[in-house]
Amino acid sequence: MAFFGPALVLLTVFLFIPMILTLIFSFTDYFALSPSLTHFTGLGNYISIFKDEMFLKAFINTVKFVIIIVPLQGGGALALALLINRVTYCKKYFKVAFFVPVVMSLAVVSTLWMQIYSPEGILNTLLGKIGIDPQPFIYGADQALPSIAIMSSWQGMGYQMIIFLGGLQAINPGLYEAAEMDHASAWKKFKDITLPELKPLCVFVFITITIGAFKMIVQPMVMTGGGPSHSTYTLVYDIYETGTVNWEIGLASTMAIVFIAFIVVLTVIQTILTRDKEDKEEKK
Amino acid sequence: MKKAVFLAAVLSAAVTISGCTEKAPEPGSIAGFDEGEKYIEMWTYTIEDTPEGEACKESVESFNEAFDGKYFAHVQFIPRNDNGGGYADKINASVISGDLPDVIAVDGPNISAYAANGIIQPLAELTDEEKGVYLESIIDQGTVDGKLYALGAMESSVGLYYNKDILAQAGIDIPDAARPWTWTEFSEILEKLKPIMEEKNGYPIDMTFPVGETSIYLYAPFIWSNGGDLVSPDGLTADGYFNSDSNLEAFEYFKMLADKGYMSKTPIEQLFESGRAAFKIDGAWEVNIIYESYPDINLGVAPYIVGDNWDGEKYAPSGSWAYAATTNTNDLEASTELIKWISGTDSSMLLFEKYKSLPSTYEAYEKIKEFSEDENYKALYVQLRDYGHPRPKTPVYPQVSTVFQQTIEDVALSGMDAREELDKSVERINAKLSRYNRNNE
Repeated sequence: MAFFGPALVLLTVFLFIPMILTLIFSFTDYFALSPSLTHFTGLGNYISIFKDEMFLKAFINTVKFVIIIVPLQGGGALALALLINRVTYCKKYFKVAFFVPVVMSLAVVSTLWMQIYSPEGILNTLLGKIGIDPQPFIYGADQALPSIAIMSSWQGMGYQMIIFLGGLQAINPGLYEAAEMDHASAWKKFKDITLPELKPLCVFVFITITIGAFKMIVQPMVMTGGGPSHSTYTLVYDIYETGTVNWEIGLASTMAIVFIAFIVVLTVIQTILTRDKEDKEEKK
Repeated sequence: MKKAVFLAAVLSAAVTISGCTEKAPEPGSIAGFDEGEKYIEMWTYTIEDTPEGEACKESVESFNEAFDGKYFAHVQFIPRNDNGGGYADKINASVISGDLPDVIAVDGPNISAYAANGIIQPLAELTDEEKGVYLESIIDQGTVDGKLYALGAMESSVGLYYNKDILAQAGIDIPDAARPWTWTEFSEILEKLKPIMEEKNGYPIDMTFPVGETSIYLYAPFIWSNGGDLVSPDGLTADGYFNSDSNLEAFEYFKMLADKGYMSKTPIEQLFESGRAAFKIDGAWEVNIIYESYPDINLGVAPYIVGDNWDGEKYAPSGSWAYAATTNTNDLEASTELIKWISGTDSSMLLFEKYKSLPSTYEAYEKIKEFSEDENYKALYVQLRDYGHPRPKTPVYPQVSTVFQQTIEDVALSGMDAREELDKSVERINAKLSRYNRNNE
């Protein structure tokens, strides 16, 4: 019992109380510069954020980002893991090389990629060599969000790669040997052995990438400031702007609560959709 | 077992809570703070060991010497980040916890919001003579509803910089400060420069619309010099101001600059500094950057361009960080004394010497030889002295600043409809203002 006492107190002070306060604030017009004038406003904040064009735009942007990044990062991580699993030389080197971006701070990675994406930067110079006109990347409203998604998946991929690699190595080699006896093709082996064996991991990776992607804020904050024309303005960015720049803690709390509710619902749906058939039967 | 849980809980609670409150220190606990002196705590936003921070520290030290036995000021450095976080977050948190010090640094446009919400209070009475030493723009910036809340130790402005060599090559003469180029004249000049700059793989003007406070600071003169404004004089509505017809013209002018290729739609680094742009609009700090790092550029400062119907109104950007006394201060007299000192001529001159920021008092400009000898510094001073216009005074300034940048970007770069975007912007600003209008009812 005693061992979790300190942890409990710290969690209460820094996690549970703030969570409860956020819930309470979400029903008030709490304003950071004049906390003494706070009133309860009932569901007023909830109604107003759903009418707020910026909030809805931020929501759509975030969903778009998730839709781009989940297959990109998850698929990329799996591909990397399969490749590394096959190479026989310099395995450690590749593992480290692909994992390094994960260790770097997102702010650093963002600054680095600003150089790569800059109008006269590395990427545009390379494109110029093969005869493609310079692209605006993060400075164009159409390309900014995909550009950030590509960068983010590059940054985060290494982490999921390690998870997949662990999964791959845990697969019983006997299964592959048996498949070889039956002259199964490489694709068949992947489809019928590797993927089913990795399925629990895939679910985990899928959910963690989704939740991480929904929380995206650092990249647009450093690279685009939510622009151009709000194309990279995300939910968490909106919460930050509302709460700290415009001092409207009440409204920001409401956004946070709606955000949490959305994530919880989404995670539950994902879990149900990806649940194994056997699980379902057991439940029955 | 239960006892152990309880003990651990109490211990960690004690650790957590004790970190949160700050008490005024006892005399003798800080070097130089003696018995009988009044303690003044001051917060500023710089990093201690930067030229700006050092200047601040020296000013406070000289204050302590001058008022030895009477006051003792102690400055705490709370660095801010580019987005205005860090320092601002600390102020917000302290408003909630009631831990504000006596004196805080406030960025010029936040003075209204801080005053409207009772975070800062008007300074103790200054005589007309005392007020007269400051540039009009400093007093303007610090005044809310006729009361003086804040005084700045530095000023800033924005210059229309030009490359003398390029303009000489194109045969373009610079007008004097009382008759700046109008938009129409300026676009003709840009048209003339375009082929020349294309040869250099550049653009006639180096202009970007960066996120954050910079955009409104650099480009608000387009609004003011065309007879427009961003918010009403009382700062409580944007309707009829932000979306006025004259502002529409300004935003369409930006769009024209981008569409005709006078500026790059994507920001290219060091365009002007590498000699690939004839003009650049940037803060006063650019002069020092060019002098120190790009000596090959033959720099000139032209008067900032004006709308076609400009009639000599004030329109040039002004304003910077200032100091104000909080409502939490124990001694307004002492705080005012400190603010006067650190915004005075000596502190201003020290800041210029170390940091090259424009001073806040007339005397400082007379004493610093750059402002009489160097034509570029002189041009910036004259523009600031004669045409300095404070940023919009409204308690929702952060929202106005954000919306302004986004509207420029939407209209000029993303090709959205200007009228529609301006109306949307008004809605967004007024939504934030509803709080203040409700309180007034």
